Amino acid sequence: MTDLDYLKLSGAGKFAYNLGQFFRNLPGRLLGGLKGIGLWVARLFQSLGKNLKDLVVTFREGDWKTRLSYLVMGFGSCARGQWGRGILFFLFQTLFNLYMFFPNAQFSGCYYLAKLNTLGTVETYKEGRKTIYGDNSFFILLYGILTIFFIIAMIYTWRLNVKQNRLNEQFLKSGHKLKSTKEDMAALLDEQFHKTLLALPTLGVALFTILPIIFMILVAFTNFDATHQPPSKLFTWVGWDNFHQLLSTDTTSYGDTFRQVLLWTLIWAFFATFLNYFLGMLVAIMINKKGIKLKKLWRTVLVMTIAIPQFVSLLYVSKMFAADGLINTYLMKWGWISSPVPFWTDPGWARFTIILINVWIGIPYLMLIATGILMNIPADLYESARIDGANAFQMYRKITLPYMLFVTGPYLLTSFTGNINNFNVIYLLSQGKPLSLELSGNAGYTDLLITWLYKMTVSDTNYKLAATMGILVFVVLAIINLIAYNLIPSVKNEEDFQ
Amino acid sequence: MKKLLALVMALALVLSMASFASAEGYNGEIKIWVAENVVDFTKDQVEAFKAAHPEYANLTAVVEPVGEGDAAGNMITDVEAGADIFGFAQDQLARLVSAGALETVEENNAEVVKAENDAGSVAAVTLGDTMYAYPMTSDNGYFLYYDKSVVTDPSTLEAVVAACEAAGKNFYFEINSGWYQTAFFFGAGAELTFDTDNEGKLVKMNSTYASDAGVQALKAMINLHKSAAFQNGSSVSAGNNIGAIVDGTWDAGAAKEAFGDNYAAAKLPTVDGYQLGGFGGFKMLGVKPQTDEDKLAACDALAAFLTSEEVQVARYNAVGWGPSNLNAQQNEAVQADEALSALAAQLAYTMPQGQYPGNYWSLATGLGDDIIAGNYDDADDAKLLEILQGFEATCETYLDK
Repeated sequence: MTDLDYLKLSGAGKFAYNLGQFFRNLPGRLLGGLKGIGLWVARLFQSLGKNLKDLVVTFREGDWKTRLSYLVMGFGSCARGQWGRGILFFLFQTLFNLYMFFPNAQFSGCYYLAKLNTLGTVETYKEGRKTIYGDNSFFILLYGILTIFFIIAMIYTWRLNVKQNRLNEQFLKSGHKLKSTKEDMAALLDEQFHKTLLALPTLGVALFTILPIIFMILVAFTNFDATHQPPSKLFTWVGWDNFHQLLSTDTTSYGDTFRQVLLWTLIWAFFATFLNYFLGMLVAIMINKKGIKLKKLWRTVLVMTIAIPQFVSLLYVSKMFAADGLINTYLMKWGWISSPVPFWTDPGWARFTIILINVWIGIPYLMLIATGILMNIPADLYESARIDGANAFQMYRKITLPYMLFVTGPYLLTSFTGNINNFNVIYLLSQGKPLSLELSGNAGYTDLLITWLYKMTVSDTNYKLAATMGILVFVVLAIINLIAYNLIPSVKNEEDFQ
Repeated sequence: MKKLLALVMALALVLSMASFASAEGYNGEIKIWVAENVVDFTKDQVEAFKAAHPEYANLTAVVEPVGEGDAAGNMITDVEAGADIFGFAQDQLARLVSAGALETVEENNAEVVKAENDAGSVAAVTLGDTMYAYPMTSDNGYFLYYDKSVVTDPSTLEAVVAACEAAGKNFYFEINSGWYQTAFFFGAGAELTFDTDNEGKLVKMNSTYASDAGVQALKAMINLHKSAAFQNGSSVSAGNNIGAIVDGTWDAGAAKEAFGDNYAAAKLPTVDGYQLGGFGGFKMLGVKPQTDEDKLAACDALAAFLTSEEVQVARYNAVGWGPSNLNAQQNEAVQADEALSALAAQLAYTMPQGQYPGNYWSLATGLGDDIIAGNYDDADDAKLLEILQGFEATCETYLDK
């Protein structure tokens, strides 16, 4: 298909074409991805070989200072007058050794590393009435990972130390002078300033983001739950058992419930995103229309829902819709209904009510966004459309909607993702209820994956399944985002509105 | 050499004396978690304890407000940061024991507890043949609060519901809770209990839910939900337009306020001719496992004191918690309490709440939610029996392997 053919297609046709194209390209892309991984591994081995060779060459050709540096880090640098670098290298090595071989075995890296494969074997026991705690699986896992981090950092630093020696030797041989410590320090504030700035954030990200993520991923492969709770009880590795528990359809597994919750999560995210989007846009267009009076008042009224914290408004609205709440009581008083509408107790009604209430709190945001964008659409487009005899709906479909979709495509994507993880609305309104005998694991009909995960962690202390679910939520999000990202017009038809 | 020997001997002597001296008392810090409304009360009682036990006169007690439900959860999440002595309700016992958050009751204290408290509360603090906590109250049960001007005959459920319907008032019964639901099942003669071993592991289920009695109970609940007056709930303050409510002693104050002069309390009504039963529940104080024996001794002594007869009576007078101590139950003030008398009348038809797997509660909520959603409105007996068989089978999977 040529570009011209493509441009001739209608909106739906373009979408279908893109969708088809996406799935047609999928095998190729996956293959490409696999090839990329293969190349990456190959490159890894290549560079490993190169590094090893370089190490040997450096040792063979280097002088005694260089050779001693293999054992005592930073020696070469110190001997050649770069005291600052040398001392830093040496300090790092000392710190590492101290950590790995700390005299009190309970606190040494080697101890944690050695126990990492079992996560502890010494049980808690009693001596008389006194309790002597055994291994703490939690700390073993946490510090075990930390130790591995540390070892990788050590290997990298050691390699850096050797490389320094090699470079310095060559540098001196060519008759140059090495940088003094003072010059090094000055460089950190000048041409090396990026390192100074990034040192702390990098360390922070590693310790407070990457470490916990790896920890959580690993917890999914253990039996860490209420009956395996450190420090009194040990937990250990169980392989893929938790994934099996969550996905398989055995009677004791959560497979059916998981699928049910996943399906509702997707339905919810779809409606919460697109219903709000189109209704919000509609409201914005209506308010923007010439001849509408009191525009500011309407906007203020709508924006009031943003001004009140969701904590307050949602809890209150949830109470309002209860079987003995305001709405049912009045409807019955007026004789419109004979028995209460089961807003929260019937699965279908509960889902409908949640989506409805979410429209109420979601429209104002969209209205604000849409108002801004609508004012940006060139008026001459509409003018020429009117001259050509287009009606309001045609103008909306051909001008307003494409423009909106183009500008807000990325927003739609993030808001879809956000809605999949929209904890607040669900938890404050229904806590995932109603439950049913048809569902297992404390999940209810309005539970999203994220609220189910929360219940597992907080009320059931079932950390292993919660961690597993966290991974699955990530997988779901990744798949949806990859597909959607490849389809939104902002990416596909980049030149449309330039 | 002699000097060195003497020095060593002297050192050994000092050390042994030091350890001897510390076995006498304890003057470190003990952290206590109790419900918010008894924090001040507990602080006063700790002072009384110090006055009565000079060897503990110097210990520091930190009393923090942590509700019974949260306390158990927090203890399980992080035993080491948890309180040394904490209050909780008995449904948490097995969970706490299997998480290693409870120390056994010291032998001599256990004898005293067994002799002085009512049988139900003693059973509730015991797993297998090991006692794990000190019973503190025997009032964690439910009964009927009602508005005298609305309900004239609280003896049958049919009459209560009819009266509420006629007056356009609501009747609250939280049938989607595993706790309140048992009123129907146990009352009809169905049974669901779990046996535990000494470590708090649930090893056996005894259930007769899937029986005619179970079906009868389930039908009674379905009928109740069909009434226009029925509301699912058990909190006076969250209720609206209340004619009658099944609730516990903790809401006595709120109920008095809501009903005013028409406030009345009674045992649960009968339905289909059988008396509604349910759980008798208890609150207790637990001691966390300690790595320091002296501290453990201090905790044992303090927990025993805080659950003794005098303190239970004082606690009733201060915040109205019904005592588990037999002598305290005979106290005049306790005997005169309306809500507590209604509870006492109901207790004759209840069974002490044993240990249930955590998942039981959400499963029971599922059953209740299904009833309220109207899923079983048209089900016949065979279908209902099938549902209960499924319920039983699922419960059985919750046993600890």
